[in-house]
Amino acid sequence: MANHRAVPGIEWLDDASIFRVNGLEAHSDHRFFADEAEASKGESSFEKLLNGEWLFRYSECAGKRPADFYLLTPEEAEKNFDRIMVPRHIEIAGYDRINYVNTLYPWEGHIFRRPLDKDGNAVLTGSFAKASYNPVGSYIKIFDLPEEMTGNDIRVRFEGVEQAYFLWLNGTFVGYSEDSFTPHEFDLTPYIREKENVLAVEVHKRSTAAFLEDQDFFRFFGIFRDVKLIATPKLHIEDLDLRATLEEDCESGFLTASLKLRGSAKGARIAAILRDAEGRVISESTKEVGRTESFRISFVLTKVKKWSHRDPYLYELSLFVYDEDGLLEVVPWKTGFRRIEVKDRIVYLNGERLRICGVNRHEWNPESGRVIGDEEMRKDIEIFKRNHINAVRTCHYPDKLPWYGFCDEAGIYMMAETNMESHGSWQGPGGISTSWNVPGKNPEYSSAVLDRAKSNYEWLKNHVSILFWSLGNESFIGPGIEAMNRFFKEQDDGRLTHYEGVWGDRSFEDTVSDLESRMYAKPKEIREYLSNAPKKPFILCEFMHCMGNSLGGFGEYMELFDEFEGFVGGFIWDYIDQAISREDPVSGRKVFCYGGDFDDRVTDYEFSGNGIVFADRTEKPAMQEVRYYYGRYGA
Amino acid sequence: MADTGLRLIFGDAHLGVSGDGFEYLFSYGNGGLESLSRNGKEWLFRVPQPALWRALTDNDRGNGFHRRSGIWLSADAFPVPKGCTVWRDGEEIPLPIPPENNRYSENETASGIKLCFGFETIISPSPKIFISYTVSADGSILINARYEGAKGLPELPVFGVRFIMPTPAAACEYEGLSGETYPDRMAGGIKGTYAITDFTPEKYLKVQEYGMHMETERVKITRNRTLNNADPRPDEEFSLVFSREDEPFAFTCIPYTPEELESATHPEELPLPRRTVFTVYGAVRGVGGIDSWGADVSEPYHVSGEGEIGFSFRILPQE
Repeated sequence: MANHRAVPGIEWLDDASIFRVNGLEAHSDHRFFADEAEASKGESSFEKLLNGEWLFRYSECAGKRPADFYLLTPEEAEKNFDRIMVPRHIEIAGYDRINYVNTLYPWEGHIFRRPLDKDGNAVLTGSFAKASYNPVGSYIKIFDLPEEMTGNDIRVRFEGVEQAYFLWLNGTFVGYSEDSFTPHEFDLTPYIREKENVLAVEVHKRSTAAFLEDQDFFRFFGIFRDVKLIATPKLHIEDLDLRATLEEDCESGFLTASLKLRGSAKGARIAAILRDAEGRVISESTKEVGRTESFRISFVLTKVKKWSHRDPYLYELSLFVYDEDGLLEVVPWKTGFRRIEVKDRIVYLNGERLRICGVNRHEWNPESGRVIGDEEMRKDIEIFKRNHINAVRTCHYPDKLPWYGFCDEAGIYMMAETNMESHGSWQGPGGISTSWNVPGKNPEYSSAVLDRAKSNYEWLKNHVSILFWSLGNESFIGPGIEAMNRFFKEQDDGRLTHYEGVWGDRSFEDTVSDLESRMYAKPKEIREYLSNAPKKPFILCEFMHCMGNSLGGFGEYMELFDEFEGFVGGFIWDYIDQAISREDPVSGRKVFCYGGDFDDRVTDYEFSGNGIVFADRTEKPAMQEVRYYYGRYGA
Repeated sequence: MADTGLRLIFGDAHLGVSGDGFEYLFSYGNGGLESLSRNGKEWLFRVPQPALWRALTDNDRGNGFHRRSGIWLSADAFPVPKGCTVWRDGEEIPLPIPPENNRYSENETASGIKLCFGFETIISPSPKIFISYTVSADGSILINARYEGAKGLPELPVFGVRFIMPTPAAACEYEGLSGETYPDRMAGGIKGTYAITDFTPEKYLKVQEYGMHMETERVKITRNRTLNNADPRPDEEFSLVFSREDEPFAFTCIPYTPEELESATHPEELPLPRRTVFTVYGAVRGVGGIDSWGADVSEPYHVSGEGEIGFSFRILPQE
């Protein structure tokens, strides 16, 4: 993919080979602060949220969009545009119809689309750019550069935008991106001014990315996560690769911080201080920064406190970047020491057999959809702890960044899933039909999903809670997915890879997924696998479909923990009902709406309600069974 | 009236059975206990019926249970009373309708009375169902329900006895398992005494079966409203206690019939809560959970429609 382009093209919506243009490379999600006082408050003067009221124009399709809107003056824009809150789904704001559909693509029955021709080549039909219905949200944010940021390099970070967007600053094209659930950053330094910057974002509802983002959920678009303006000091830790290794004795630890630096400064040095959870300094080290862009600091610990669900013990590494005039930035990062490994087809964490008592979790709030804040995450952690849920799978996309930190702190084992689900491309009403499955063997879609895997890894790699990298969900199997697995294994971070779709072609068994993963397998089928010379430990990436009043027979799965050491456990489908709160015009009551309640077709109606909590996070009655069994096996 | 006996009124269509603080009317035509009055407070809105349906769950719909067993919905909705047998002090007597009841006087008593009501259903072959009431001198009522299946009948969702009470319950206190439990989802239930005061349906997206309590020893239902326009104590709380006889039972105490739940696609479509639908079960199908698109409930938690089911429980005398 040519990553640098000066002129945007609407045809990129239809070009599977173009999914990210002019963006900064994905890097670790560490925050950085001007000094320790900022760090202790968690308020960085290097960051400014651009959330809030933006100017907005909705168009039904690209053909009707105000294509030159990025050239508008602030006065023109303010006069002619609506107002919308960021973050928010455009449908929730009332511009486009809300729709829920499970596996079928959301244009089912309305538009004929194929990602590939009959020979398996990606097609460029204009199906997205020239559609009569493929809505566009044209956003404008006018802002002044905060005074404390002037003189620094400036970037903007979009933490979540569905589904394809073009970006301009002050009339100049900046970049383009897909991959809705992964943060993307763009360098604004060349274009930014001190006053009245005009940031223009053109968000398209669907593009070729839609073939890869067919998750079973409400189908939204728009800027649905934070937008941040970020300043970086002249010498900046662009990427931190922190490896906290627990040695085979499960006693001694080895901590290595490998840094990628951006910029330069005279007399630069980096000091590292490692503290335990009580704040006592364990070790300190200072090194001069040489001419290279990489930098490495290591610590050896003879006796470490291990991180686990039972005791999520976190150390804190603080990195201080100085130049000859003083402190440039502070990067604090909390990490733990833990060791995950497979021996004799049994998964061990810190030398003890790992039992995953988990849930699949969609991000959800019935008022705002997938726009959530820290409040929902805190509540979810509280519910997890009360009910002995020790693990979570981020289905089927990366979550908001703070969620991973909450899980580090709470000792929640994380299966970090990449943003990929393409079941509409192979699960038909007549059974499996893979004639146009993506990514499959197709090179363009394969490069897109590999990029998604890389982003998932690079952003999240320092989170101790992540035990598993998951390649995605229900996308069948092929060389593209195999390449994702290879990428994760090449990082050699000790974590296990996960993908369920290996059943589609067992020839991938040795090259995809460290675990034998199934969904909704019956206890009998699990016994069959584990009793017949299994190749891998067995995990249920989804089980106990908790739709409505369900969860009967949970004990039949839980007893497998006692029968087979190779049974790793599983993730209940799923955590929270997805339903949208709305005032019922007849009764005047606030009620939960689901597919079909918006005159939306095609839909799978109430099939999005599979939580062990209702959409408002009250626990379903079935939760007491979860609490009982997970308390017994996962606590 | 003798303190030790029940007073019997051999009406033309009803047998009245009364004692100290209670009066019960059994209807031959409607197939059972038409009125259960304690200290002047009525406990029944209609005659108790065999419960042959519970609202479907999403899993039931997914595995096609309704397509296999949906006839029980109509059987539940339209019961067919069929015959009544009466025992006075343990002796069967001819059905006391005119002219047979002309032989009785205004001073009839007994130490015990038992009536057994037969039911058929509108489905074919029809099972035979019997609900019998044995009233003791202290006013307690032993209720025995029996289901005799027939070959070829599909699996049942439940078998029980459903009481519809005229007004909503204010509280339902029970001795049994914590929370909501089903045969295949009750390991987490903790034995104890619990009170339910909120009878709002659970917030499932599509309204469905809810509120089951397995392994129950005792249930006390408290109400504080009646339909009696001349109730001298209209705000008074009053209670009725159901107790296990041979085995613990399962129950639901909710404001809706299964048919009402079945027809609502959303909770807001349910009628305003105005009754108490209290059902005691001798057999309950599990809810399942493996998946919602085909997997059946595990074998031990099915209820065969071909076999026999019998259970009993008791309405205790006034405390």
